[in-house]
Amino acid sequence: MNNPYEVIPAKIYEIKQESPLIRTLRLRPDKPIHFKTGQFIELSIPGVGEGPFTPSSSHFESEVMDVTIMKTGFVTEYVHKAKAGDRVGLRGPFGSRYPLEKFEGRDLLILGGGCGLAPLRSLFLSLLEEVEKYKSITFLAGAKTPTDCIYKDSATQWRKYPNVKFLRAVDVVPAGEKWDEDVGVVTVLLKKLKINPKTNPAVVCGPPVMMKYGTMDLLKMGYQEENIYLSMEKKMYCGFGQCRHCAMGSYFACKDGPVFTYAQIKDEEGIWE
Amino acid sequence: MIIHEDALLDFIKQTAEKKLGGFEQTILPVIDTYEDQENTFLSLYKPGKTIFLDGFRTVDPLKILFYMPREKVAPFAQNTKKRIVWGVKACDLEALAVLDAAMLHGDFQDPVFKTWRENTVIVSTDCTEAGPTCHCTLMGGHPYPEKGFDLNLSKTGESYALTIGSEKGEDLLHVMQSVVSVKEGGLFPKREIDRNRKKVERQLIKQNKELEREKPYRSLKSSPVRRWKDASATCVGCGACTNVCPTCYCLILNDETRAQKFVKVRSFDSCQWNGYARVAGGSSPRPKMFERFRNRYLCKFQFMKSNFNLYGCTGCGRCTDACAGEIDFRKVVKSINDRVRMEVAG
Repeated sequence: MNNPYEVIPAKIYEIKQESPLIRTLRLRPDKPIHFKTGQFIELSIPGVGEGPFTPSSSHFESEVMDVTIMKTGFVTEYVHKAKAGDRVGLRGPFGSRYPLEKFEGRDLLILGGGCGLAPLRSLFLSLLEEVEKYKSITFLAGAKTPTDCIYKDSATQWRKYPNVKFLRAVDVVPAGEKWDEDVGVVTVLLKKLKINPKTNPAVVCGPPVMMKYGTMDLLKMGYQEENIYLSMEKKMYCGFGQCRHCAMGSYFACKDGPVFTYAQIKDEEGIWE
Repeated sequence: MIIHEDALLDFIKQTAEKKLGGFEQTILPVIDTYEDQENTFLSLYKPGKTIFLDGFRTVDPLKILFYMPREKVAPFAQNTKKRIVWGVKACDLEALAVLDAAMLHGDFQDPVFKTWRENTVIVSTDCTEAGPTCHCTLMGGHPYPEKGFDLNLSKTGESYALTIGSEKGEDLLHVMQSVVSVKEGGLFPKREIDRNRKKVERQLIKQNKELEREKPYRSLKSSPVRRWKDASATCVGCGACTNVCPTCYCLILNDETRAQKFVKVRSFDSCQWNGYARVAGGSSPRPKMFERFRNRYLCKFQFMKSNFNLYGCTGCGRCTDACAGEIDFRKVVKSINDRVRMEVAG
């Protein structure tokens, strides 16, 4: 019998400190985990606990998996103490994926901030594998300060693709830090957009406040509710709709999501908290 | 089919002591007195305990035999024992249908729950009394089982009339027939059964008359927040209601890995607790007590209904019995759903 609680052990073979609070673990699971971008896994630290994280690597890779994690609570504190060579456990993949087929031939907007860039990096890298299928990809990424920017090294590489734009904004530039890109909350970058909002899709992921105001701004611009894809973060304990912690009304963030259209969940309570 | 109660008790004793039918455990309601109140509790068969198959439901919900407060779920070892449970009431059977829908009929199955289900034979009984907080009739149920049992026993005088509900029940009957006397029944018990059933049902309808409410509970969600604040005024958020609820199955999953092998243990959780839906960053969709209180009612009447097409309440009344704030579940539903003034606590 397939036991959904059973863990696939994985080895951390590389750790990249992205920012003071965010690091990316490069994992090699004992057996390949075939996920679709947007889906999530449960990562356990032996004897400590587990939490839901969305892989940040391309779904075309299954031998290795990147997971980008912010230090923000009990389990993630231990994630940040982990060393290369340590063993962790993985369960999954769980939940819904980004519908890449709906992005084909379109001008896709990706809007994210903070550690919400993790699933978006997975989406972005998966898109880049077949970049010719998409009319254009605009990736708007936000961070608090230049130091908090993650995936710094990739920017130059990503900007080399034709029809791909990667723009960044930071909320503030503290004294002593250098920054020659935009300043302000990430939604300021929406002003630079040259996309027809009526017919094109947008994907949003980030801290709750950013998701909320990002979605509101997109709606104001004319984006359609059913074309706005949100990656909802709730307390996904089990991953398959059994523990009920992530329930948003009749929906489960883990099973029916984490990828929802705004049209699907707009009437549920507490979606932004 | 009819069996005299003495023969039945003799059969239960023999089943337990000689492991007839291969049952390694015999579980049944026994009478115990707590604070001068006589109640029945689920217990392993032991000589000297007072078995009581009739009356109304036990204090503890049936779910704890299939979905235990704490259980190792990975790595999963197939070590469940073959068991027989006697004296299960209709409200608990209805609740088991909710757990089945949640744990067996989705994309993923809970392996431990599944094994307990497969290895347990359920013998139910008609209620012969209505408990003070019993209200199955308000939920459209009855004080007698209609489905979900392997064998049902209906008390008629000093005997029980038997109804087979499954192959497991039929096998049990064969074992029973080989050990004690089981007689063919005629029309007489059918009439007597119906008379007993109607009597208890009338009692339930009578005691809940003032609490009949409008269905299908749409106004629960749209009712003003103020009403929920008032109704939850004496709630201390202890979570007793969800622990004794036969349909509540929210769990937490703990990692208890010691050496190389990953160990996962699941335990009961409660949506009434503050940390329930709080994520690592600290945000929570229901930080206030009245919001969590409201969530339980919406879950029972709307979310579970929409998830499984079953209500999450079967009218057992245990949450009312267990409430430290003396909140009556029925009154909360009535006052908020039908928007009437009513003291819900005490």
